[in-house]
Amino acid sequence: MPEVILKNLPFMLQGLATSLQISAMVALGGTLLGLIVAVILYSRVPVLSVVSRVYIEFIRGTPLLVVLFIAFFGLPALFGYQTTAYKATVVAFILFIGAYLAEDIRSGLMTVKPTLTQAALATGLTQGQALRFVVVPLAVRRIIPTLFNQYVRLFKFTSVASVIGVAEFTGNAMLVNAREFQPVTILAFVALTYLVICLILSGIGRWLYARLAVS
Amino acid sequence: MAASLKVNAMDKPTIVIDDVSKAYGATQVLRHCSTRIAKGEVVVVCGPSGSGKSTLIKCINGLEPFQSGSITVEGVEVGSPRTNLPKLRMRIGMVFQHFELYPHMTALENIMLAQVRALKRSRAEAEARARSLLKRVGLEAKANAKPANLSGGQQQRVAIARALALDPQVMLFDEPTSALDPEMISEVLDVMIELAGEGMTMAVVTHEMGFARRVADRVIFMDQGCIVEDAAKEQFFAAPASERAREFLSKILAH
Amino acid sequence: MNYTLQFGPIWDNRALILDGFVTTILLSAAALVLAIVIGTLVGTAATAQARSLRVLSIAYVESMRNIPLLIHMYFWYNGLSFLKIPAFWCGVLGLALYSGAYVAEIVRSGIGSVPRGQRQAALASGLTNAQAMLFVVYPQALRAIIPSLASVFSQLIKDSSLASVIAVADITYQASAIEGQTFRTFEIYITVCLLYLALVTVVSQTLTILSGTRDGLARRVADA
Repeated sequence: MPEVILKNLPFMLQGLATSLQISAMVALGGTLLGLIVAVILYSRVPVLSVVSRVYIEFIRGTPLLVVLFIAFFGLPALFGYQTTAYKATVVAFILFIGAYLAEDIRSGLMTVKPTLTQAALATGLTQGQALRFVVVPLAVRRIIPTLFNQYVRLFKFTSVASVIGVAEFTGNAMLVNAREFQPVTILAFVALTYLVICLILSGIGRWLYARLAVS
Repeated sequence: MAASLKVNAMDKPTIVIDDVSKAYGATQVLRHCSTRIAKGEVVVVCGPSGSGKSTLIKCINGLEPFQSGSITVEGVEVGSPRTNLPKLRMRIGMVFQHFELYPHMTALENIMLAQVRALKRSRAEAEARARSLLKRVGLEAKANAKPANLSGGQQQRVAIARALALDPQVMLFDEPTSALDPEMISEVLDVMIELAGEGMTMAVVTHEMGFARRVADRVIFMDQGCIVEDAAKEQFFAAPASERAREFLSKILAH
Repeated sequence: MNYTLQFGPIWDNRALILDGFVTTILLSAAALVLAIVIGTLVGTAATAQARSLRVLSIAYVESMRNIPLLIHMYFWYNGLSFLKIPAFWCGVLGLALYSGAYVAEIVRSGIGSVPRGQRQAALASGLTNAQAMLFVVYPQALRAIIPSLASVFSQLIKDSSLASVIAVADITYQASAIEGQTFRTFEIYITVCLLYLALVTVVSQTLTILSGTRDGLARRVADA
């Protein structure tokens, strides 16, 4: 490994840990948000499903960077509260990826035949129980590859958090570059690291899918 | 003796369908249907496709809403908004044409789910019940198999076990053998015949006239959303009253 | 909430916003054209007979799309700074190489959706390989992939905002500048959001309509 990388490895790995930490929190929060929104749309909850539609369309038409700026600069200014770059990043990314996950999960829910829900209802389960134990688990299993695509995407996004000063992987690497000025080496190392982690993530997705998939 | 008991039971029927009509938009799928099913009675519902027989049977446990008329099961009004449908459905088992097993669960888990979640049985109790039912339908070896690894006939037997797990008072069958390969039909019918022999109240939508002849007490013939004929088995097969039923029978028995 | 919304300062800066908006459109358009070229070549390579071409194609797609776009842009802007490529073109290159991988995936599946016999029939009638692709396979593949292309194109437009980080004066860049002067933080970013939303909607709707008329046209031809 080139010397410039070895020398600065702890600092950069610290950034990588932050990137992974943000990704894990956002994957969890975003999936939960996506699931709630998807169920609202699937169950056609009045009023809330209109709100959900507007939310999804708005996010899907907006760049991540702008959502990040709104969460970091815009909302705190509007509502007069303090935030940190880290918190704003987590909030912005959850809101962002949640909209995409909501659409993915909703289309997963749509693949479950209505007669399967009927079968669950016929055994005395309530609508909520049928969703919770039959429809959602089945839908989620079917869309595991799509979910992991979103998690990969989200992990790549964390690099953008450096723009508002979060000390994640890309940010720390660029700080190292400012001191050492060996951009090709440093960027190659960063790119390779992202590449490997993304490939591992999609590998996990494929493995899970093969294990849990149902026709 | 048995027949007379059932006639007496008609004073207090298990299922009462009274003047039920239903439409999807402009299409009328059920027109003024009325019938009663007594405790322990086995009723076969037949008719051409699109005659409304599946819809009628799904109205009995409230899976299909209907616009007018009333259905009561053991005195409980199915169509009433005050009725606790999940509670009512626990007393009515249903078997579907395409089995509708939960594909992400094993056979055992399929049979346990509603016992644990709807009936609130303990997991141990639910599992014991599920295993004894699997044994009863001859599939104790398949407890941990996923539906995808079971044949159609095996899936349908698991589905029957799933319905029986809640100890229902009534069993509804919606074309339980029509999605099966011919060689698997009898393994499912055998389970149903055994069930009928034990005195289960059953409403069965089917084209299996052999089954009807063997275990049915009554046959209902439907066409275009109407109950055209509702007669004792012997009478239905010997001399159907309507031209449409005669036509239907000759077509189906020609096979 | 003692913050009152004021869109006046935003309106005062409309020239800057418009300027940034035009840059965003030019940046996206240039990257789009390049991404289509890359995607078509790489996507076609994925369906080639030669194993080496298929491996190269997969390697391109997997490596390019699994590296964050921001790193792509830093690579051209900071990494190869000695080449002195203008920031705008660094943005175009980064965006095109990254999005090209997504386009390639779509092109590959589009070609896969055209029955094999079609290409064989074209070859049998004396067309060259290139002619068979150009006149027989691509036109049929295109119709199948338009919805996926539309979503990649809108993604590309939104992704172009990252060029602001390498000092391309696109609309996101101008928004930051205006925010710095006016402190109308929320208003400016909401305005920018709506402009992106409008651009993305126009592009994806246009593609949908185009595919609709193409289908309609094809059907009319088939019926005649």
